[in-house]
Amino acid sequence: MTTKTNPAEKRSSFPAFLGRHVYDIAAYAGLAATLILFLIFGGSRLAYNAQAVLQTSAPTIIIALGAVFVYSMGYMDVSVGQQVGVYAILMIMIINAVGGALGVVLGFLAVLALALLCGAFNGAVAVWLKLPSIVTSLFLMFFFTGAQFLLMESTGTNSISVPTSLLRPADRGAYNLLLVVIIVAVALAVTYFFRFSKLGKYTRGIGANETATAQSGVATTRWKVIAYMAFGACVALGTYVMLMRTGSAGKGTGTGYAMDIMICLILGGMPLSGGMKSKVSSALVGTLTYVLLTNDLTTMGVDLNMINFVKALIFIVIILITCRRRGGVLPR
Amino acid sequence: MKKLTKSLVALMLVLAMALGCVSAAGAEPKHAKIGVAFYQDTGYAVVATKAYLESLSEALNVEFVYTVLTQTDEAANVAAIQNLISAGVDGIICTMDLGTNAIIEECEMAGVYLAGYLCDYDVSYTQNFDRVFKSEYFLGTATDGQNPDDTTIGHTMLSSLLEYNARAEKPLTHVSMAIFPAWAFPSQETGAKQFVEDVAKYNETNDPDILVDELDPALDVLMFTQMDTTYFSKHTGIDGIISFAAGTSFVYPTMVQAGVDKDIRLFTTGFEGGEENNFGTKGTQTFQQNMVSAVESITYPLVLILNKVNGVTFPDMPETAERISTSQFCINSDEDLDAFMHSIYYTGNAADAMFTPEQVLNMTAFGNPDATYAALRDLLAHMTIEDLAK
Repeated sequence: MTTKTNPAEKRSSFPAFLGRHVYDIAAYAGLAATLILFLIFGGSRLAYNAQAVLQTSAPTIIIALGAVFVYSMGYMDVSVGQQVGVYAILMIMIINAVGGALGVVLGFLAVLALALLCGAFNGAVAVWLKLPSIVTSLFLMFFFTGAQFLLMESTGTNSISVPTSLLRPADRGAYNLLLVVIIVAVALAVTYFFRFSKLGKYTRGIGANETATAQSGVATTRWKVIAYMAFGACVALGTYVMLMRTGSAGKGTGTGYAMDIMICLILGGMPLSGGMKSKVSSALVGTLTYVLLTNDLTTMGVDLNMINFVKALIFIVIILITCRRRGGVLPR
Repeated sequence: MKKLTKSLVALMLVLAMALGCVSAAGAEPKHAKIGVAFYQDTGYAVVATKAYLESLSEALNVEFVYTVLTQTDEAANVAAIQNLISAGVDGIICTMDLGTNAIIEECEMAGVYLAGYLCDYDVSYTQNFDRVFKSEYFLGTATDGQNPDDTTIGHTMLSSLLEYNARAEKPLTHVSMAIFPAWAFPSQETGAKQFVEDVAKYNETNDPDILVDELDPALDVLMFTQMDTTYFSKHTGIDGIISFAAGTSFVYPTMVQAGVDKDIRLFTTGFEGGEENNFGTKGTQTFQQNMVSAVESITYPLVLILNKVNGVTFPDMPETAERISTSQFCINSDEDLDAFMHSIYYTGNAADAMFTPEQVLNMTAFGNPDATYAALRDLLAHMTIEDLAK
């Protein structure tokens, strides 16, 4: 038997649809608007701008994709910037010490191991000591700030570097293609684990209602640790992608990443309280919107010193429009 | 008839040549957009540099956009440069050598020229010379004072100290030093060694001796933070500080905090504002010497970039980019300070600049066919306090 929907129901379902998806619509509309402005104002440097946007956004996208697991639990990690800084310095030191492709592989593996360890620490300590996760990440932030300073002091210089030819193809086209491949591969992997595996299901469950999730028989501590480790893996990969761009690191490398990740996820429609409405697309949509917005304001001739001010205004407007009142918006 | 035709053709040729000459003589420089990436967004030098550049805008048909770099984050610097390139600049004047390899790659990719100002590009010069200085898109840099391989600041500091001693009732006989780390300012470490050697030579033939405390790496090398108050416990009995590092921001506040600003004289670099109240015979008389680079030294990278944008070059332009030492204003007395206070550096008024827009246009290869690179370099050597007083 089939049922027919009458026109009145259709009319009432459209506002309901809008109500259900207002955050997604706002996020995608923001991306569409910035993309249109990008095409209009790109001018003769459109191709250059496109690759600049790709290179700027690639590390942030990869780290933001990993952060989806953490943010979907309603948690956050403010140590990510300092982690990126220390990982970049360590990677360069190992590459310079070992040399060649072997150095690159060893450097990346060492940093990956450290990132997984930090992820596990971040998740586990917060649970065992019953601390808000932001407190453990604050501890890591201070720890890594000191480590970054001491590592650079030991070099006696302001900046250390490796030839970028060791890290990426010399040809710009091949380099850009590699970035696209990495982004797509990470996005697919994160989507799979977030949508179709227990990891995503449980992290969203923890974000929606941790008590109910635990009472359903889910070992929440274990999945929190795994979520943070997944994030750690993305931080390590994101650091490598960032190094591909500059080939160098210093005392300030990674500064601002924690805030950038949070802004990008919020712009992409991620609820800061986590839960079932968390989406992988938030990382992609939000980061591209954020980077494109900077590029648009630049090409539109906005004073470069005013761009942060304009971005802050836009950000606060989006927060006001999209903030979910139920349960609050601040992380637990 | 044949003769008439020939005459007409000749007349037309003459007219065409005359028109060509007239149009060439009145040719406007190509419109250029130049990005200037500063090391900070405030301060006397930044305000004055902006005022100077904006005053040149019309005569040189150039538009400026500004941004600020960081001393510690290469990725942030590359992003800032990419933003300038996205904004459509034809050239970039950069005040920092951090992330330069990636930056020059961006410039090559976008066909944008890069040049330096108030920066010795020492890391690039010593470690990436081929990549940076031999790039066709890197045009050279005007250093903030002397290059590490061309340092004279140690001699200048002793000269200022002796000039003070000659006029002071109580000459200074015991001094200590302060420098920034060598990785950032290698010329300061060289200058400190030079000063110690010069004093030793002076002591051989003069009385009373001047005692110079050895540099203490823990206390005397300022990591871009204010001097520690324990400095005065370490250097007891000093009556002068020779600060190669920017003393107004990093030394003077600690002197005030320790209550020694009335007893110890400061010889330093970098004018931040406020020194004039305690300079020479005024106020506490703490400041007895101050050295700053003229903001007009930005003319060097500006002219080199504009030449490229206009598709011209100097006949004696070197094949490889150079780093040029700039002369500095060395303010040693009340009279010097008075002259300095009438410079664009202090007033922020373009009318007080050492060069008018027409003079700068005359320095370019497109504004003056006889202009040379040697002449441009020579101008940088003539921006002293004596030149200012003229």
